[in-house]
Amino acid sequence: MLKDLLEGKPLRHPIHPMLVHFPIGFLVLSFLLDLVSLAFPEVPGLLRGSFYAMLLGIIAALLAAVPGIVDYSEIRRDHPGKVVATRHMILNLMVVAIYGINLWIRSSALSDPKISLLPFLLSIIGIGLLSVSGYLGGRLVYDDGIAVGRHKRHTPTPQGTLHLSTGHATKDGETTFVPIPEAEQLGNGETLRVEIDKLVMTIARIDNQLYAFQEFCTHRFGPLSEGSLHGFNVQCPWHNSCFDVRTGKVTNGPAKVDLKTFKIEKRDGKVGVLVTKDHDQKT
Amino acid sequence: MKSLLDFLKGKWLGHPLHPILAHVPMAMWPGALIFDLLSQCQIGGNAMVRLSLYAIAFGLAAALLAAPTGLVDWSGIKKEKPAWKIGLYHMSLNLIATALFAVNLALRWQTFREASEVDRIPLLLSAAGTLILIGSAYLGGRMVYEYGISVARMSKKKWRKLAAAGAANLPPE
Repeated sequence: MLKDLLEGKPLRHPIHPMLVHFPIGFLVLSFLLDLVSLAFPEVPGLLRGSFYAMLLGIIAALLAAVPGIVDYSEIRRDHPGKVVATRHMILNLMVVAIYGINLWIRSSALSDPKISLLPFLLSIIGIGLLSVSGYLGGRLVYDDGIAVGRHKRHTPTPQGTLHLSTGHATKDGETTFVPIPEAEQLGNGETLRVEIDKLVMTIARIDNQLYAFQEFCTHRFGPLSEGSLHGFNVQCPWHNSCFDVRTGKVTNGPAKVDLKTFKIEKRDGKVGVLVTKDHDQKT
Repeated sequence: MKSLLDFLKGKWLGHPLHPILAHVPMAMWPGALIFDLLSQCQIGGNAMVRLSLYAIAFGLAAALLAAPTGLVDWSGIKKEKPAWKIGLYHMSLNLIATALFAVNLALRWQTFREASEVDRIPLLLSAAGTLILIGSAYLGGRMVYEYGISVARMSKKKWRKLAAAGAANLPPE
């Protein structure tokens, strides 16, 4: 499938972060050559080199945009990284537009000994925005784990969180049955991300059976609803900790603490989860 | 000493430094190969020959800066983890690629001011160096996207808060 290809699943490595080296590197090179032309105008060919580097940078940026948009579409709507990703994308569009203008302006002055003011200013602005954008892109990976371990999952990941409630009448310590009709449509190997009065859990279907467990890995709190399922194990996409979905027990580190699990039941023909309200999770 | 290590790990920036610096050689050296090929196709003349040399030199400078940051990141991985071995291969390949481009730079230093095209041997060195670099960069990427090296290292507190708000079982702090 084209989408899997653009996400780099056959390579087991996302494509967008591979390609972004080129626009970043070439546009920085172009800027450096502009700077050198100001300091050493006697060196020949600097502005021509800067132009070629910029042209290559813009082409590479357009190529990188395609898998970037696919990666963007994969981020859950309510993921804290989604806003960062939107900013990253807007900045990149601005960068490409500014460099397009820059390239066009300087194309008529390739034999000048040093860069003139307007294209130089555009390069400064372009590099500034590109640095911020690149930084945000890196934060998406290193802070928010976007695209980390994604290739290990072969079914679609949840695009949002299902918000449910036990109802206002529930007292502390009381166990409530919360129906989740969406769980019945879940295919094997698929997951739901569900929030019930602030309690966040993953519901997974394995072997036609539903299991519910806490969403956050107990190592660095990676999203288990985006993890991969191997037999009765869920594997965290970030650092590969494994847990038995039936008991919540750690079956492979680095995590050391077991998951909370929740009971799935069928009542009056409805599938739902049993949750016990306690002081920690008051609404 | 610890503050130097923290600096190299990128704590002050909130982002690991090695993957940032690695962008430069990763773009410059394959770029040099592209410029060499264009130059051999009689495109760009001496400006292209010069551009290729600048790209190699800029890549070398950044590679030397990237090496200590990579070493520090690698030293934080436990030896029994699969990522440790991949890191070792990644480092070895980077050393080979860097050496190849250093020789490459030296070879073209005498002629770049006048030449209108790049010679065959520097071009072959660019091709070999680029191939090795791509293999190495792929391994570096695998360390992040398969094994989560440096992932959620600096955002651990933020995610812990979200997990706590989501009523998850948590490890002791």
